[in-house]
Amino acid sequence: MIFFQDTLKLGKHARGAYEITELIKDVIRESGVQTGTCHLFLHSSTSSLVLCDTADESTKISTKDFMAELAPSSINAEGNLKKSMEAMPENLRGMSAQNEITIPVSNSRQGIGVWQGIFFWEEKTSPIERKLTVTIMGEALHKSFRLTSS
Amino acid sequence: MVHQQQLRFSTRGRGTYNISQQVDEVISKSGIKTGICQVFIHHTSASLILCENADPTVRTDLETFMKRLVPDGDNMFKHKDEGDDDMPAHIRTVLTESTLSIPIENGKECLGLWQGIYLWEHRTSPFKRNITVTVMGE
Repeated sequence: MIFFQDTLKLGKHARGAYEITELIKDVIRESGVQTGTCHLFLHSSTSSLVLCDTADESTKISTKDFMAELAPSSINAEGNLKKSMEAMPENLRGMSAQNEITIPVSNSRQGIGVWQGIFFWEEKTSPIERKLTVTIMGEALHKSFRLTSS
Repeated sequence: MVHQQQLRFSTRGRGTYNISQQVDEVISKSGIKTGICQVFIHHTSASLILCENADPTVRTDLETFMKRLVPDGDNMFKHKDEGDDDMPAHIRTVLTESTLSIPIENGKECLGLWQGIYLWEHRTSPFKRNITVTVMGE
């Protein structure tokens, strides 16, 4: 059983969904794990990880619209609320989705569905640097090495 | 030690399906006594939940709640090509789980007495759903 961990910098992004499937594929390849699991952990409570349909762009837009309705940003429309209150809608949406997910690793690849993609979902309107820790566990084809970088 | 297996389920349309026994069979087959069992669904319009298994009306009420929270055919949705129930199915999936990790104790899934693992089909028509079960431990 081997463990491989890497922390990736996702950069600063405006509100929206960004696909990170390829990025994760590279980390899995680097880990040398053939069969196991891959855990993704986002160091944030105002952004989230979503497994979403990759076939139609409108799926992402409709999901975003639904979340916007569920926790509207206009909650701070009065303009006199404290900063902590302003962050509330993003926190609520962060909570409704997930900031950690585990996917299977099969045949040295991510074992996800044909139409499934892994998306990083930024909720904040003002961009913040985001970090993602990827931990891969499992059995390897060949002897691997442990690595942690930031 | 790692054991991985694919399971395939045929759903009869929107509703919940108890898959606890099939997951437990994979654990038994693995021979692992202590560890973690990870269940992953390969779809974006069906999901996984841990739910009460005693009274089926709990799951009927969950369905009623979701129907109210994410109405089929809502005008707000832009993704309409695959039917009124498709976009709500994607949102229901985001709001629930695509992946669950369950502890393994004494070679069995260590669930609460009234807990069950359910596949929640969100589409109204029947589908074939793939699930990967990965068992890790000693």
